[in-house]
Amino acid sequence: MKTTLPRLTLLLLGGTLAAGALAQPQAGTLRVRLNADIRSTDPGLNRDANTDGVMMHMVEGLVAYREDTSVGPLLAQSVELSADGKTYTFKLRPGLKFHNGAPLTADDVLFSWNRYMKPENNWRCLTEFDGRGLSKVIKAEAKDPATVVFTLEKPSALFLATMARTDCGGTGIYHRSSLDDAGKWREPVATGPFKFGEWKRGQYIELVRNDAYVALPGKRDGNTGNKTPEVAKVRFVVIPDTSAAKAALLSSGIDLNPDINDEDMAEYKGRKDITLESAATMDMQGVLFQTRDPLLKDVRIRRAIALSLDMPELVAAVTTGNAKPSRSIIPSPSSYYKAHQAALPKRDLALAKKLLNEAGYKGQPIKLLATKRYNSVFNIAVLSQAMAQEAGIKMEVEVLEWATLLDRYTKGDYQAMAFTYSSRLDPSLSFEMVSGVKDKQPRKVWDNPEALDMIAKSMELTDRAQRQALFDKLEAKMREDVPAVFMYSAVNTSGALKYVNGYKGWALGTPRLWGVSMRAQ
Amino acid sequence: MSSSVYAYVGRRVLWTLPTLFLVGLLVFALMRMIPGDPALLILGDSATQEQLASLRAQYGLDRPIHVQFAYWLAQVVRGDLGNSITSGEAVLPLLLERFQVSAAIVLVAVALAALLAVPAGLYAAWKQNSIVDTIVVAGATFFLSIPSFWLGLLLLLFVGLKLGWVPVVGYVPFSQDWRAAASFLVLPAITLTFIEMGVLTRMARASAIETLRLEYVTHARAKGLSERRVLLRHVLPNAFAPTWTLIGLVLGNLLGGIAVLETVFTLPGLGRLLVDGIFARDYPVVQGCLLFTALIYVVVNLVVDLCYPLFDPRVSAS
Repeated sequence: MKTTLPRLTLLLLGGTLAAGALAQPQAGTLRVRLNADIRSTDPGLNRDANTDGVMMHMVEGLVAYREDTSVGPLLAQSVELSADGKTYTFKLRPGLKFHNGAPLTADDVLFSWNRYMKPENNWRCLTEFDGRGLSKVIKAEAKDPATVVFTLEKPSALFLATMARTDCGGTGIYHRSSLDDAGKWREPVATGPFKFGEWKRGQYIELVRNDAYVALPGKRDGNTGNKTPEVAKVRFVVIPDTSAAKAALLSSGIDLNPDINDEDMAEYKGRKDITLESAATMDMQGVLFQTRDPLLKDVRIRRAIALSLDMPELVAAVTTGNAKPSRSIIPSPSSYYKAHQAALPKRDLALAKKLLNEAGYKGQPIKLLATKRYNSVFNIAVLSQAMAQEAGIKMEVEVLEWATLLDRYTKGDYQAMAFTYSSRLDPSLSFEMVSGVKDKQPRKVWDNPEALDMIAKSMELTDRAQRQALFDKLEAKMREDVPAVFMYSAVNTSGALKYVNGYKGWALGTPRLWGVSMRAQ
Repeated sequence: MSSSVYAYVGRRVLWTLPTLFLVGLLVFALMRMIPGDPALLILGDSATQEQLASLRAQYGLDRPIHVQFAYWLAQVVRGDLGNSITSGEAVLPLLLERFQVSAAIVLVAVALAALLAVPAGLYAAWKQNSIVDTIVVAGATFFLSIPSFWLGLLLLLFVGLKLGWVPVVGYVPFSQDWRAAASFLVLPAITLTFIEMGVLTRMARASAIETLRLEYVTHARAKGLSERRVLLRHVLPNAFAPTWTLIGLVLGNLLGGIAVLETVFTLPGLGRLLVDGIFARDYPVVQGCLLFTALIYVVVNLVVDLCYPLFDPRVSAS
């Protein structure tokens, strides 16, 4: 007994050191950090951003987002729209097979679609297709084994864009064997470049290369284009703590961290073994105002706050110079981001003070809510407070935990709030996310009937030039009303070990590990 | 064991039932008092009212609170802690799986800490006011003062990153590969050992000093017993009782999860499950975790109480 413990300790240490030596990069397995575990492997149902990012490697839809956030075919070879704008005909690409070797047919498309549309499954995007939201699909049918036809009640400019949304699971098509005999979800058997491997909850999810994958020709293009898988396996390793993730990357415990901290940029830049890569995303950061607040209902005070902010300075400080300032609600990677959207009003403290004076502002405190869940949100609040102070505006920052902040946002229970909006891939949706009737939806920031009509119209228009003109008008109107101050499109910076080749971030911010290879160690 | 001991254990076990009921009630009520909506967290900022209502209905969150509580309680009585709102997994197997990770670290760390702290405290008490005593007290105070995450990160960076002796991220169960499992657990276990050593050393020293002042120790010395025998036979058993109580409290506390260390070392333990559950407003998981933690606390303290007679025969008699 006396010698058992020292022996055990030595044994543990010995084993430890031996295993430490084993923890080197594994040949053929690309290890990628995930800051939280995925929720499920059922696309678009029980999901979050991490789940969507992982699922897009296994499951593909008829259409998908391109690099410039326009929509292009993926499983579809062609998409035809009828003259009345109500019928979409999808011709499937020939020769496509599921992970189990079964051929993809129109019947499989309908199988997946019908499951999505069952209310009890709670598909994320059900309301966008059942008439409660953006469109109403009145019929989905297979014209022949390679053709699927969707008929809408009325034209919708956002039908394809919604189908392609990652939070809708890309309306991914999967084989019947993804479900068990009782109809319960088992695992995705789909057509993507990677197959489902193993999921150890709280630890990792491993995907295996789909050697039979039929890639589109050309280059990688968003979630479509050439998606040839290069590495044999991809392992998404769950590492919630940013410091631990940093240590993991620096010690080769992982090969790639798709979203590194802005604060760590300087250190990473000094290292020869790390490659950094930045890309603007569609996530929007800014400060929201409660326009029904006794104080902030006066547009002059809201304008004064906006004028007090030195946007280039603020954005440079928050993102360590990584992002460009932008006052538009339309994210900078969008193809609709033009001169009107890029215009950046200058800081004007004198005008801000004049407006405050006219509004009779006497230094009443304005509570600015923030969270530390996202460093950028907290830093935006602190810097906005400091800058507004110079114009004589007294802001008090109150830090809340993310769930509480989200709750207050939904109830509209705030004066001002630093906030981050997740990606909206079409300008109509960007405007829609903040606009609405507050009596019905308290979370809406901008309650302007004229703007609501314009947004509704933008969702029906299919002509690009007409849409752009409408968005420019909406931009001007929003800047006049100042229901919020948008500051920049978030930038994702990835850090990868030198031997990782071909990784590139993009507007959606989700990782794409097809086309990524590892040079021999 | 005598029948009185069985009766004592029976009484204690019976007392756990109202304790667990109160814990359950409190946790249930508190979780629903904190702002935050699990449906909103799952669906995100773009969710519509219909989507939120539908998801709430799916998880029964639209029912009156007392109905939800009664439903949950009925499940618990049947040994079912419900399913996670976020992952859909059954909570009980999830808890047990995560508990294994936390327990492996905690048991090793507390055992090592006790084995190092008790002799150190006893020796320091014996050599009170000497240089050795000063070093032991300073060391204990130091370890008591430093935050576990800081020490953990330092070890991670030095042993894992600089020396490259152990992997800095990941976890493998012992059943799968004991060597790899040990490599993932050794740093958190060492961190926790250091941290817990501080408090245990101080307690062991204080108890030993008090015991050394008692008359029977003077008497033992007067009988001509060696110092070694005085310390090990007469001082240690009596001085150890308070430390043993503390070990019980520490164990109960730590077995409920070492969330900070589990986060730093990316271990899928009970503490991280609880914290993730709170952030996600995953009510069944949080309720299950806390009920389980309360149960562990009760069981550990019962075991500690039952072990007292080993050190102090008076307890057995009473």
